[in-house]
Order: sequence, then structure tokens, then C-alpha cells
Amino acid sequence: MVVDYLMSEDALLAFFVNGRNELVVIPLGSMYSSFSMAPRETNPNFMNGVPELLILRLVQQEEMYGYEIVQAIRGRTDSVIAVGEGVVYPVLHGLERDGALRSRRKTVNGRNRIYYSVTPAGTRRLADLAKGWTNLTAAIQTILTGEKHGEAV
Amino acid sequence: MAKPFDELRERLLRAGVAPRHVRRYLCELGDHLSDLKVDERNAGRCAADAEAAALIRLGRTDDLANAMIEQRQFRSWSNRAPWAIFSLGPLLMLAVAYYIAMFLLWSGWQIFLPGADTPFVRIDGFAIFYLGVGRLIYFGAPVFVGWIVFLIAARQRFNALWPIISTILVAFVGGAAQVRASRTAIPGGLGHIRMFFTLPSSGELLLDRLVGAVIVFSLGMVPYFIWRLRRVSLS
Repeated sequence: MVVDYLMSEDALLAFFVNGRNELVVIPLGSMYSSFSMAPRETNPNFMNGVPELLILRLVQQEEMYGYEIVQAIRGRTDSVIAVGEGVVYPVLHGLERDGALRSRRKTVNGRNRIYYSVTPAGTRRLADLAKGWTNLTAAIQTILTGEKHGEAV
Repeated sequence: MAKPFDELRERLLRAGVAPRHVRRYLCELGDHLSDLKVDERNAGRCAADAEAAALIRLGRTDDLANAMIEQRQFRSWSNRAPWAIFSLGPLLMLAVAYYIAMFLLWSGWQIFLPGADTPFVRIDGFAIFYLGVGRLIYFGAPVFVGWIVFLIAARQRFNALWPIISTILVAFVGGAAQVRASRTAIPGGLGHIRMFFTLPSSGELLLDRLVGAVIVFSLGMVPYFIWRLRRVSLS
């Protein structure tokens, strides 16, 4: 998979073609990343709001610990989105501090782990993020396919 | 041999991330690394290869550090406002310590020496312990505060500048502290203990204060120097 980047003063966009031959555009942030694209494990990129979106969605379904979350993202996206695994924790801690997640220690199979679950505030935040992301991708898809604008012209 | 996260810990602390957040982050990274190692071993790798592969999957130290450093809400107060932590903080601690010491002195005077005009007389029995604690806090407070300051500085990997400024301030204030005790004019009235801070009025007093301040400063610095020496020897 080839990933191309378009960078301006305040935005960094990544373009790649997914497994269904669809062009996917992802807005990225600074050089310091929370998540990375699968083929470039050591070249992290920011996807503003996307790590939070994915994490909130996953832990909304069931209580999870960090390793589980990372593997779930990898598994459910067919490794298209591969988290630079350790950097998921600052995102989790940030969400917890914001009140979007709560954590508790739990011993399972002799291992003491910190499990995360969504709070009501996290559910609202997830809804906002999902709405924003859906609008963004729909808008970009519209431009790419030229449907609405094509008709207007 | 350096542990996997030693460098990361140092970078985070030096960048101002609060020690409790660093501790939790490294704890979860350690758990994650263990899971990754098991994952890699299950994939057929030998122990050494599994560890190497697990570390790569976990992420580079640069990325792990930057991801945490970017989250400014995890910065410690000593990093956000060192002037407050190393100047107002020690003075506040000193004030609290002096308040406790004066309370012990006053209450010990009322309990053990009800007829005495001053608490600074010969005492026996439990009074020695009770008033001794008060005196220990009074005389030791600047040194104890100095130790706390250096503990904060060492935990956050500060250089010596702020803690030295802080200890000089504490030593100066501690050296200027004076205590006076007296009975009220009313018979059977409660005793009064006053604490105040004075500047030396003569050269001899100035020398005394300076010697006192140097002693407080030196004693306050001892743990910090031991810590630095230990770190140098470990590295």
C-alpha cells in the first residue's frame, strides 16, 4: 500500500488506496503521532480525533485493557490502521482525565491490568467525533466522486 | 544493564511529566511489552528475537516519549510553576511547621508547666519528649523543608538551581526566626508565645545568622548530593 502525504502550514493529509480500491484521505496532525499507518510502523502520524474515536467506540462495546484495544484496532481494520502500540496509553490517560473514560484494576488469569470503559461523557464525545468524522469523509468522498459538484457544473 | 524504559523515564521526567503519570505509563507499557513478548513467542520466535520484536511493536522511545510529552495536562506543578513550588511552597511548609512547633510549645507549657513564667525551664518526664518534639520541629523545620524541596527536584530531574534558591530562602527565613514567651499580666492568665522574624542588628548577630543559614543549607543539600553521587555511580 502506498501512502502519500500533502502538507500545508497547519495541516497534513495522508492519501492511500484501501483494499477495496477506494481512495482514503485522512487528516493528520503534527509529526508526533498517536497512531500510524500499517506499512510505516516507525513513521507515526497524527490523526486528530481518530485515536479517540476508535478507542471510545471499542471500549463502548466492552471493557478493555490497552493491549486488547490495540489488537482490536489492528484486527478489525485488517491492519490498515496499526497503532504504534505503546502510544495508545497517553490517549487513554488523556481521555480518562477528560472524564470520557474510567479505569479500574482487575486481575484476570493472574495478571493485574487496568481496564477502561466509557463514561456518559465519553458516549457524548464519541457521538460528536463520529458525526464529525462521518461528515468529513462524506464531504471528501463527494469531492472525489464529483457527484454533487459534477451535477452543479 | 539498562531496563527497557530507563531512557523513556528520564526523558519524560526531564520534560516535566509528573512522576505519578510517568509511573503509570511505564507500568502499562511494561504489561503491554509482556503481552507482546508472549505474542511473539507464540509466533515461533526465540526469547531474544521475541523481545526485540516486541520492543519494535511497542514503539520507538522518541514516539513513546513525544506522545506523552504532548499531553500538557500531565505536566507536574513543579514544571508549570517552578517559582511557586520552589519559593512559595517551602515558605508555606515552613510556616506550617513553625505553627505546629509553637502549638506544641504552648500546649506543653500549659500542661506540664502551668505555674512557670516561661516554657524554657528545666523539664522532666514526658514533658521532655512532648516539648522535645516541638523543639525538634522548630529547629529542624528549615532542614526538613530543604529535604522535601530536593526530593521534589530529584524526582523531577531538575538541575540544582531552583532547589538551591529555595534552600537559601528557607535558610534565611529560618535563621531570622525568633520566639518569645511570656505570661499575661492577669494572674493565672494563659501564656503567650510570639514568633517573629528579625534582621541582625550587629555584626556578631549577622555572623551567627550566616553560620546558621550555612548549616541549614548544608544539611538541606546532603540528600541531594547523595542522590547525585548515586546516579553518577550507577551511570
